Amino acid sequence: MISDAVKWVLVFMVSLILQTSFVPVITIAGIKPDLLIVALFFFSIKYGVIPGIFVGFALGLGQDLYSPSMLGQNALTKTVAGAFIGLFNERMMRSDPLIKTVLLLVVFIIHDALFFIVQIARLGDPVSTLFLGLLTKCLPRALYSIAVAVLFYIWDLIPKPGIRK
Amino acid sequence: MQWIIRFFVSHRNISSLALTVIASLWMLSGNPDQQQRIARILTFSVFYPFQFYFNQTTRIKNVVAENRTLKESFANLSVQVAQLSEAGRENERLTEMLGIARQFPYQLVPARVVVRDPSFISRSAIINVGKEQGLLPFMPVMTTHGAAGKIIQVMQHMSMVQLILDPSNRTSVMVQRSREIGILETENGSDFFIMFRAHADVNVGDTIITSGLGGIYPKGLLAGRVAKLTENRDPIFKKAIITPEVDFDRLEEVFVLKLTPQWASFKQELDSMVTSQSKQAGQ
Repeated sequence: MISDAVKWVLVFMVSLILQTSFVPVITIAGIKPDLLIVALFFFSIKYGVIPGIFVGFALGLGQDLYSPSMLGQNALTKTVAGAFIGLFNERMMRSDPLIKTVLLLVVFIIHDALFFIVQIARLGDPVSTLFLGLLTKCLPRALYSIAVAVLFYIWDLIPKPGIRK
Repeated sequence: MQWIIRFFVSHRNISSLALTVIASLWMLSGNPDQQQRIARILTFSVFYPFQFYFNQTTRIKNVVAENRTLKESFANLSVQVAQLSEAGRENERLTEMLGIARQFPYQLVPARVVVRDPSFISRSAIINVGKEQGLLPFMPVMTTHGAAGKIIQVMQHMSMVQLILDPSNRTSVMVQRSREIGILETENGSDFFIMFRAHADVNVGDTIITSGLGGIYPKGLLAGRVAKLTENRDPIFKKAIITPEVDFDRLEEVFVLKLTPQWASFKQELDSMVTSQSKQAGQ
């Protein structure tokens, strides 16, 4: 249990470090993957709603503190994303990689939609921003992130010593 | 109160979500100043331990790097101090030599000892001056403290000096105070002695100088001091143990006195006489 916690703390830390250091390097036409959401996805789908909510909140808050222009925006969106993913907990239902991929896409849409809604509400941006943002930013970002998430799938498929599937 | 807890436990998913969403909205609803204040408090309380740890790690890394730099600087400075100290000592010695050279009535050639014979047989040294500087065999060699030896072989740029430590080297000396004459000799290269007549006027502490009678050393070069007088088995003589003035273990700079041996002219004359006699005998 403790080793699991340590492992996930490390995963989130590495994701955060890569997100701020490595990801800008692999940006394509201004679109970059969101490793934190990918990591949160795999965490929440494994541990359920409540861990998903709190870890999502903590990750979002960490991201907000890193750039505190809109404190609480990422905390809110990642909390909701964590809660949503937690509903599809692996203990409750089995999901194959295809379902997971679709879920991840939905999570991205929910996350970004909420993000844009907060932005519209706070800054008074036009509502068209939401749709435009979802189409031009969210979808490419989600697809890019899913492509990166494939690496997680591959990691998951590698047989680990002492674990019988 | 109890029903609130019961409600939270039974609806923990919704409660957790509500709690975090409310917290997020509360942060969002604040004005920029409030947000910055909250961010500062959170940053300080959440990230401070990590920041502290990283600061400490960075500090330790800096200390290690600084320590390495200081060690390098220390090594460099030690070398410089040693060089300066050596230069200072050399300066002192050369100044002393210069003083001696000025007050001495003979032409002196300063030289540096470049090789010391490590064997205990010949007890010689090689100096860095030779024929080029006009040196000849049997020229006396001295230091600022007195007689050191004589040149026995001259090369173009180097010369070999037979030190007075060499047991085969005997030097004619005299007691400066009473003018008693004797031969300074050694059997092992470390214990010097002079055999005086039993009634000779010699005391412990007397200064011994070269007598000028040997034909090599000029008169008056310091040779040593009487350290001890011992009675000899032979009642005719007494033995004076001499401490040489020159420290042969630390022989670095010397002077060569450009003096041809006083017996050279006699030798020349004798040689010419022998040659003429043999010629006459041949006729």
